[in-house]
Amino acid sequence: MADNVCPVHGTIVYLSRKLASGELTEPRTIRISEEILKLLEEISNGHAGEDHLDAVHTRVREFFEHSANPEGLKTGTYLKGILENHGSVLESHIATGNCASMDCVRLAPSPCQMACPAGIDVPTYLSLIADGRDAEAIEVIRRDNPLPWVCGLVCTRPCEMMCVRARIDSPVSIKFLKAFAAERAMSQALYINPPQKPLNGRKVCVVGAGPAGLSAAYYLALMGYTVRILESLPVPGGMLMVGIPRYRLPREVIDREVAMIQELGVEIVYNTVFGKDITLESLKKEGFGAFFLAIGAHKSYQLGLEGEAQYKDKGVIDSVMFLKNVALGQRTVPGNRVVVIGGGNVAIDAARTCLRLGAKEVTIAYRRTRSEMPADIEEVEHAEEEGVNFAFLTIPTAIAGDGDRVTGLNCLRGELVKKQDSDRLYPVPVEGSDYILETDAVISAIGQFVDTDGMDAFQDIQWTRRGTIEVSRASMETAHGGVFAAGDAVTGPATVIEAIGGGKRAAEAIDRYFNGMPQPRIPSVPVRYRREKPLEMPASTKMVLKRPEMAMLNIDRRRTTFQQAELGYTENMVREEARRCLRCDICRRCGKCVEICRDKMGIDALQFGYMDFDNPGETDFRKTAENCIACGACVANCPNDAITMEDRNDERLLMLCGTVINRQKLVRCQSCGTVIGPVKYLEYISKKTGGMKTVTQKARLCNSCARTHTAGFNVGTHPVGQTK
Amino acid sequence: MQFRKGQKIEVYRQSGDEAWESYMDDFIGCHGIITDPDTAINDPDALIEVSLQGMGTHRLPQDCLRAL
Repeated sequence: MADNVCPVHGTIVYLSRKLASGELTEPRTIRISEEILKLLEEISNGHAGEDHLDAVHTRVREFFEHSANPEGLKTGTYLKGILENHGSVLESHIATGNCASMDCVRLAPSPCQMACPAGIDVPTYLSLIADGRDAEAIEVIRRDNPLPWVCGLVCTRPCEMMCVRARIDSPVSIKFLKAFAAERAMSQALYINPPQKPLNGRKVCVVGAGPAGLSAAYYLALMGYTVRILESLPVPGGMLMVGIPRYRLPREVIDREVAMIQELGVEIVYNTVFGKDITLESLKKEGFGAFFLAIGAHKSYQLGLEGEAQYKDKGVIDSVMFLKNVALGQRTVPGNRVVVIGGGNVAIDAARTCLRLGAKEVTIAYRRTRSEMPADIEEVEHAEEEGVNFAFLTIPTAIAGDGDRVTGLNCLRGELVKKQDSDRLYPVPVEGSDYILETDAVISAIGQFVDTDGMDAFQDIQWTRRGTIEVSRASMETAHGGVFAAGDAVTGPATVIEAIGGGKRAAEAIDRYFNGMPQPRIPSVPVRYRREKPLEMPASTKMVLKRPEMAMLNIDRRRTTFQQAELGYTENMVREEARRCLRCDICRRCGKCVEICRDKMGIDALQFGYMDFDNPGETDFRKTAENCIACGACVANCPNDAITMEDRNDERLLMLCGTVINRQKLVRCQSCGTVIGPVKYLEYISKKTGGMKTVTQKARLCNSCARTHTAGFNVGTHPVGQTK
Repeated sequence: MQFRKGQKIEVYRQSGDEAWESYMDDFIGCHGIITDPDTAINDPDALIEVSLQGMGTHRLPQDCLRAL
């Protein structure tokens, strides 16, 4: 390791190379090295706790406990030296979270990867998709998310919200690209599981086969654990299967991805309710040493309206039960004129499902206005296209009926007012504005909560005042030893990708629990696995490519069938869209290039307004060529090799993450033919060294030839002050 | 303050909410974007999903956030 490299970073590189090269073959040495690597990565990114350094020391000592193993001794001796000579640097990383030599931040992931609750390495897989390597892209995604196809269709895509490209025009369509790659890899039978570690004899029980449970089971199975999932429903997927309608997420997609997880030996036991059909004691007797609770939030809040109890199942339905029944095959229309109460995605799903079942009129009644609706804006637009009506500022007051069946929903018109000491708008009824919304079915979709039935077996579990399981977010560990939890049961009703991320975090924490490793202080940050070479393209192409529109199923079929509504991108669209990625894993937008060009060189050729998060300015990569002299000052000062310069075919190319932002003809030395740079650059130098012109007779010469040609000139032939 | 999806925010102080864990102190001063507001019941008390620059995505109480 070089003297000027941070020892934490250097040791991570050392161990990573040893593990990746296959140089280590002895299982114990591999295991200890992997554990130390994990601990060092957390020390590197400032997420280590007080016990991390002790844990590294303990593991290094473990190498020497088996003196017959030369591999372990060699690795142990190297690491012991690092701890003895650089222990204070490790301590400082833990105490301050900073790396003085800035080596550790070189691995900082891109904003999209950081935004993803599962931490998927987005720029790497987009780069692979752009290059047509879909199966490799899926392999990268599945390191952090075992359900790429599902997420490609239903993710709330926080990555796109943080996408830096949005500061130029529109975010890269990350979600749909993922769906395309997964579908392509699956159809070509290239969607395969990574190699699994040998079984370690330890058993983990997962309660719930939703996204969190499946995610934890997948990563535990890869680590060599025997995993059994208990599922109360007759199908896998949890809310993916019974909460999200088929026109958004076809069942086959869930089935195929679950089958991949089962291929790893994960056992799913259906129609089994924990605490009722099977007990904690019986599972412990079977040898299950850890439990992961991913029970979701499957109970609907009640509306609390007069008539709700009287007309339950006589026109009053809760959205969770309604969507579940439809997902399991029931195709009965709830009524001709349906009112759905709520403004979230579940309300939209329920309304669009009613249309597909044959309801003649569907209205979503929401207490606030369109701009306050928490539902995804695209989902709202799709619902409107299909003919769902919206009744905003509508406050339901009672459910009316004829004794047998619902006949209407009594409502008041509302208005939004600010309460004292709050700038939040609250809906307040307008007096005397009451009216009846005629309907024969009312679906409540005002939120869900966690069903705690069966959970009393875990007596030490703490519950939050929000009715969710209390965990340490870094490890997803509950107060009950050996019991972990994630997903909606912890967050309340949240997103699929958050549940997947929680499941992955819990799997890592369960592995640490079994191995006596300290848990991290902060939820783990995403990991970059590789640095894919950026694809080369002209600046004009980079700027001109636009996010494609999604083709939709025709409106009549959308209103009448459960066929997938979004038809997906064509292959050409996908490859082009992936090429719009700015590769923020390479360019960290530190702005040094812009500063050097503007302040030191006085050229100001780089108009990269997108680099500023808070106040982004104008960006046009094409403008660089107008003023850039290809001097290379930006290249020399780029800390991450994002800007590069290359002489190719008598041209000098300046590239930002593969985008050719300047291309200039090279000039050769008139004497020896050596490349001496582009004209603009030579003119710039000439201006700065004006006194040399006469001496070189305006000839364009390289340094060496210039020295040779001017060797005859000296203070004798050209006295100081007489040079013309 | 009612937060909306895509809004830029700053974590400007600790929250007194039980959901605030000690590691979240590291987030104070960070800027980010709301990625999932209170989707359930439009509740000022709900935890909302925020993607913080350089810190990842977390669910935080709303009283520690302010709009930029």
